[in-house]
Amino acid sequence: MRQVHALGADLQDGLHGRKVPSAARRLRQLLAVDGVVLADLDGPVAAHGKRPDPEEVETLLAQVFEYGSNARTRLADGTSVCAVPLYVADELAGSLVASGHPLEADVEAAAALVSDSLDHAALRRARARIAAADLRTLRAQISPHFVHNALAVIAALVRTDPDRARHLLSDFADYLRYGFSEKGDYATLSEELEATQTYLELQRARFHDRLDISVRMAPEVLPVAIPFLVVQPIVENAIRHGLERKEGRGHISVSGFGEGPLCVIEIEDDGVGMHPDLARSLLAGTGPESRSVGLANVDQRLRAVYGPEYGLVIETAPGEGTKVTVRVPRFTRGVVAR
Amino acid sequence: MISVLAIGSVLVTSLVIGVYGVRAARSTSDFLVASQRVSPSWNAMAIAGEYLSAASVLGLAGLVLKNGLGTMWYAVGFAAGYVAVVALVAGPMRRSGAFTVPDFAEYRLGAPRLRQLCGCVVLVIMLLYLVPQFKGAGVVLSLVSGTPYWVGVLLAGLVVSGSIAAGGMRSATYVQAFHYVIKLTFLAIPAIYLVVYSSPDTRAQALHPEWGTHFPEPTPVEFTVGARFSLDEPVTVTTPSGAEVGLTAGDHSVTAGTEYVFPEGAPIPYPAGLPELGGQLWSTPLLDVGGYPLFETWSALLAITLGCMGLPHVIMRFHTSPTARTARRVAVGVIGLLGLFYLFPTVYGLLGRVLTPQLVLLQGTDTVAVVLPAEAVPGTAGAVLTALVAAGAFGAFLSTSSGLLLALAGGLSHDLFQGSVPRLRLAVAIGACVAVLLALPARTIDINVLVVWAFTVAASTFCPLLVLGIWWRRLTLAGAASGLTVGVVTATGAVGWSILLPTPPGWIAVLLAQPAAWTIPLAFTTMIVVSWFTRAPDWAEHAVLRLHSP
Repeated sequence: MRQVHALGADLQDGLHGRKVPSAARRLRQLLAVDGVVLADLDGPVAAHGKRPDPEEVETLLAQVFEYGSNARTRLADGTSVCAVPLYVADELAGSLVASGHPLEADVEAAAALVSDSLDHAALRRARARIAAADLRTLRAQISPHFVHNALAVIAALVRTDPDRARHLLSDFADYLRYGFSEKGDYATLSEELEATQTYLELQRARFHDRLDISVRMAPEVLPVAIPFLVVQPIVENAIRHGLERKEGRGHISVSGFGEGPLCVIEIEDDGVGMHPDLARSLLAGTGPESRSVGLANVDQRLRAVYGPEYGLVIETAPGEGTKVTVRVPRFTRGVVAR
Repeated sequence: MISVLAIGSVLVTSLVIGVYGVRAARSTSDFLVASQRVSPSWNAMAIAGEYLSAASVLGLAGLVLKNGLGTMWYAVGFAAGYVAVVALVAGPMRRSGAFTVPDFAEYRLGAPRLRQLCGCVVLVIMLLYLVPQFKGAGVVLSLVSGTPYWVGVLLAGLVVSGSIAAGGMRSATYVQAFHYVIKLTFLAIPAIYLVVYSSPDTRAQALHPEWGTHFPEPTPVEFTVGARFSLDEPVTVTTPSGAEVGLTAGDHSVTAGTEYVFPEGAPIPYPAGLPELGGQLWSTPLLDVGGYPLFETWSALLAITLGCMGLPHVIMRFHTSPTARTARRVAVGVIGLLGLFYLFPTVYGLLGRVLTPQLVLLQGTDTVAVVLPAEAVPGTAGAVLTALVAAGAFGAFLSTSSGLLLALAGGLSHDLFQGSVPRLRLAVAIGACVAVLLALPARTIDINVLVVWAFTVAASTFCPLLVLGIWWRRLTLAGAASGLTVGVVTATGAVGWSILLPTPPGWIAVLLAQPAAWTIPLAFTTMIVVSWFTRAPDWAEHAVLRLHSP
């Protein structure tokens, strides 16, 4: 049983992993034969024990790959060689060749085992790819949302205040360079704050300066690496859903400080607030379509990067404003701002 | 009373800075201000503020008084440690993005299990370092408020955990920088005043050892703990009731609570086993407790210099610098600030030998900096000076132990119990409780002995891990783990044995009391040898490369 389990571990990187020779050795022990060859579609990749004549093997492999079925041949010294195809996701991927006195049924069972392991390896790789792709989509999801708003604001100003519009446009260009940069998935908190500042410039233009903003940052958390666009979407949410509907002046505060090994960022507004149930459904991604973009997205990305316990925390009540807290470890392996 | 007020105002000011002192801003452009990094000089001040602990403020002066000029090597080591930090770890540590040593271990060797091991070592070092802080605070608080020692320690524990719970450490950089200023000015002003105020005779006595062996005036000595002391010549002392007691030359034992008044000019008794105040041994500029001065001095220097880079709360401050270059510049600044500061404990030690020699007998040398001003300057001026020193010492305690407690709590909640929801405040409370409990029986152990213990453990564990991890690409997980284990067991065990259990005299006692000279090489060797026999992962080279590429 242990050999079978270890076989699975040996094949976890597929037929081209580092431990494939060790898998061949295990297969030879399991089958109790003289020699074992593992081959992919281009030819043998690993072998253990006595190797039959390479030409012999090649002929057998050609036979297997042509018909997709078992092939067997008897050698001059009285032993026989048996080749069985390996299937990954129902596609021919290689072959298992055993020489000596192999029982065809045994070799078939072993080939099935190897096929399963290879299948798992392929699935694992696919899963990692999907996670990476998910992160990328989540990141891309934000941008169009904001691009539209920003352009609308600038468009509104172009005629009445062309100077400011020009200023905002260049700010906006800076912001886009930040948002679309291909440098990596993470930025330092200080870069993130600069991007947020640009965003707030644009929003203030829209609000005709009835927006108060205060920032309090402990300097020791500024170099902390966080995923791209975490602060800005929360600020955006606070303005769109908290302050936009409020009469008179609105105030939004962003503060950051260290809490031992954690970095805490709080975004607080004194807007209209919302019902806690609504906040819950927003985070779960089941809220009303028009509001479900920003917060759920940030929440998912934080969880994807740091683990399930590091999601957003929202404290709110109708008429009481909203406070969103981001709490992330200052250091996580793999999270580095470039 | 003035002292209590001074301590209270230091506490309140730090809390206010902690809660409100983070850069506040009211307009969008302030986002830019807030997102700019703190300047290297502020950062250097913050690091120095966190680093200068009760050991530096109280312990060093006490040791100069008790063990002689050789103990000034400790100050040399404390400052020189930063040279090692600049040369070996500051820059690469910054590039790795790691916040703590366990973070670095995970970055470099990629194993959560090693992270837990590092977490355990952090716990050991931090507790060893916290106990002397609490001891110092307990001594100072009980001195200025007249309460027993245990009340002082308990109060210190409450104050620190309370100030952390109140969010007082949110903006650690500004609070710590403030504490550096407090420590420097509050120790420097009384020291300078004392030097200027004291008579030329006193100054001469401080510099010429043979004069310091006699009481300058009739001095009452109250033995708060039982003591054994020796006299070189017979003396007649008086008890508070007026009775005269003749003490012959030789050894004497007294019980706790005894009070003698020594007449003017009487020789100062010295505890058995300690160098005679101002004697030949006292003035030799080497550490000498067990008879092998050169070895002891080197061993202590090695422990402190290399231990500095392994102290978890030191290394995490370099994270604040934006680049590796600034990280190094900050460390250079720290060396200057530390060098300036360490002038003053020496002044207290030297003057203390002339003006308050009785502290040696009472095993209370750690209090010399606080006791001295009131003894030297009568009246209100003396009380004010005492208040200043007490507040400075308290600031030292507050800044260092908050940093330590937070690092300890972080290790507890983040490294050892990963996955659970971090419960930082609970961890702070637990850490403070344990430290208070350990500090209660530690009253008669010198602050510096405990601090050097912590440095020795750090030097024998994290120093090899960081140095090899940064500069040697073949370090492996198995090597690091075995080296850490060997280092922490030998260093903790050796010093613990020499403090808590009787030791055989001679070389063994010295090797146990100052083990750094053999535990550090042992840890290095273990790491290297075990790494030779195991294979480093493929990405190790890449990980090392990133530590060194600009």
